[in-house]
Amino acid sequence: MSAPAPRGYAELQDVLLDADFPDVDVALRRGRHVDRDDVAWYALLSDGQALLEPLYRRYGCELVHRPDGFFYLVPVGDRVSRRQLAPGDMLVGQALTLLYLDPAVAARGGRVGLDDVVTQLVAVLGAGPLVATFNPSRKRVDERAAERVTRAKIGEAVRRLATLGFVEAEDEGRLRLRAALMRFAEPVRGQAAPAEALAALVASGEIVFEDAAAPPPERDDDEVVRDDEADDADAPDDDDGDDDDEP
Amino acid sequence: MPEAPPDVRDPAAALALLATRRPSLELSTLDLGLLVALHARAAATGLGAFTEAQLEEAYAAAAAAIEPDADPRRRAPAAIQRLRAQRLLARVDGQGVVRSGEFALSRLAAGIVEFFLEDDVLTQGNLAVLTAGVQAVLTTALEAARGATTPAAWQAEVEAPLRVTARDLVAGIERRQRGLDLQQEEFQGSIQRLLEADWFGAVAECQHLLEATSATLRELATMLLRDVATLRVALHDLEDLAAAAGQVDAERAAQRVLEQLDRVAAWGAARQRAWSEYFQYVHRYLRDVVRLDPARALTHRLREQLAGGGPRFALTLAAEGPMRVLRTARVVRPQPPVVRPRAPRERELAAAPVDDPQLALDAEVRASLAGGAATLSTVTRDVTGPLPPRERYLHAGRVAQTVARLAHAHGERERAWVASTDELVIEEWAVAPREAS
Repeated sequence: MSAPAPRGYAELQDVLLDADFPDVDVALRRGRHVDRDDVAWYALLSDGQALLEPLYRRYGCELVHRPDGFFYLVPVGDRVSRRQLAPGDMLVGQALTLLYLDPAVAARGGRVGLDDVVTQLVAVLGAGPLVATFNPSRKRVDERAAERVTRAKIGEAVRRLATLGFVEAEDEGRLRLRAALMRFAEPVRGQAAPAEALAALVASGEIVFEDAAAPPPERDDDEVVRDDEADDADAPDDDDGDDDDEP
Repeated sequence: MPEAPPDVRDPAAALALLATRRPSLELSTLDLGLLVALHARAAATGLGAFTEAQLEEAYAAAAAAIEPDADPRRRAPAAIQRLRAQRLLARVDGQGVVRSGEFALSRLAAGIVEFFLEDDVLTQGNLAVLTAGVQAVLTTALEAARGATTPAAWQAEVEAPLRVTARDLVAGIERRQRGLDLQQEEFQGSIQRLLEADWFGAVAECQHLLEATSATLRELATMLLRDVATLRVALHDLEDLAAAAGQVDAERAAQRVLEQLDRVAAWGAARQRAWSEYFQYVHRYLRDVVRLDPARALTHRLREQLAGGGPRFALTLAAEGPMRVLRTARVVRPQPPVVRPRAPRERELAAAPVDDPQLALDAEVRASLAGGAATLSTVTRDVTGPLPPRERYLHAGRVAQTVARLAHAHGERERAWVASTDELVIEEWAVAPREAS
């Protein structure tokens, strides 16, 4: 696939008048990460980066471009709403990043299935803690039901990450891993100690600590709370809201 | 009588037969080695069959190469028996237990050996040969089609070559395409093994493999596009000639070969696209992951981070909601006030026609009396006669009452019962109009 020709933007107006700009702008403001596989969008942002950065800064956002080949917006002010990824989504995102780094996955073009994600999480966290993380209810529930719920919630987390551009959902339940996953590895990438790297990322607004005094994340409108197997009739499922039951 | 082979067009019947016969195949590497050794010996010496001693010699040669620690003299008879039971070796001498037999590779064994041995991957060389073969067949068929005048000539010189030779050659291309797909899978495995074994040190070799495979696929794709276009033109000409001559079978044969070629071309285009994506993905992986992390420490650190080493954190995202979309304004007409409908308390009276059945009966009785009826039975007959039989009895009483009111009725002490109509019998009165009395 040949790269598109440079668009040659002379002024900000030229970028804003590009036919793709409205879609790119809306996607960025909704948290989407744009990488090289979004050919037209990536070309627009690459060619217009110098003109767009001051524009987004006026809105209190930083247009970040990573060398891995992806763009995203980080709100640093109050003009553009912000949110944090839920703890469950963070776990799944890091597991997907481990798969992205795996040579076996790279050799097959970065394609995995949901089973691979679950296997990776079980390998790192262990089956028991994994189920407990996604089933914070203190009531005793059937093991198989809890595993089913866990698997369903991992699937939901994958779908949410797909809307943000971290993975691409393909046919037959396959996932294609995308470069934006490297954002989950940012704290451990450089030569600096992880604590220093984390502090730098917090200072730039890219991450927050989960126990920081931050407002609870908004629930997604399309989030499905499934408690059909457990007996939680009196307590709604809160796998991506409260952290009270985090191990 | 031997059973007829299953019809491959009927999967249910074929599966039912398999379920009945329950065939299975189980071959170790050494078993395959024996088959390969026999195949090679047959090709070299021209021998079609082997004695048991020759089979054991071949087994020993295969064991020496594949499992040097195996004891071939002890294991050979069991291995040979296993291959016979799985119909890979067939006895061909027909002597039964009279003497030791001679054995040959079955068709199944030959197919297995060919799969593992022969170069069945699409290359520029064999693609050129195959397409040249198809072109030659089509050229001959076109010339024959232009000169054919009888259905037999069409069948023998056009349809048969298309149906047999051209389709076989194109099927050869398809088979080799599948071989190339298998080779791609092995290629992916090679990339994985190189990276797992040497990581940073494997980058150069992986890139070299990628470049070499890209070049091969690019050349194949170009050849395919060019050759398939040429073959399509010839097939369309054949199709048109067959259609003009009314030769439906030849036309269909040309269409089937065209469909095969379309599949071949589609395969080529799809493989190019898939390869392009794969090439870019692996290149980026080598550049962004392997080169920047020569010690492969990132995976370990990320695994520790996921397992809970260090403080938990969350990525910050922009989360602007969708823009408020105002609804389209529409003019709202003022509704009239809701009031109770006013109606007059008392409705005005209106004249309505009276429908009094007694008046009608009075008129009928007067008419009957005026017509000269002198007895009750006669008046009753006149009035109830037109009525349906089931209503006459009902009206008879009313008739008598009306007659008594409108006329003078006189009856004897013992009044006679007289039949008024077919159904009615009444006690008779003599009646006279009131005016007359």
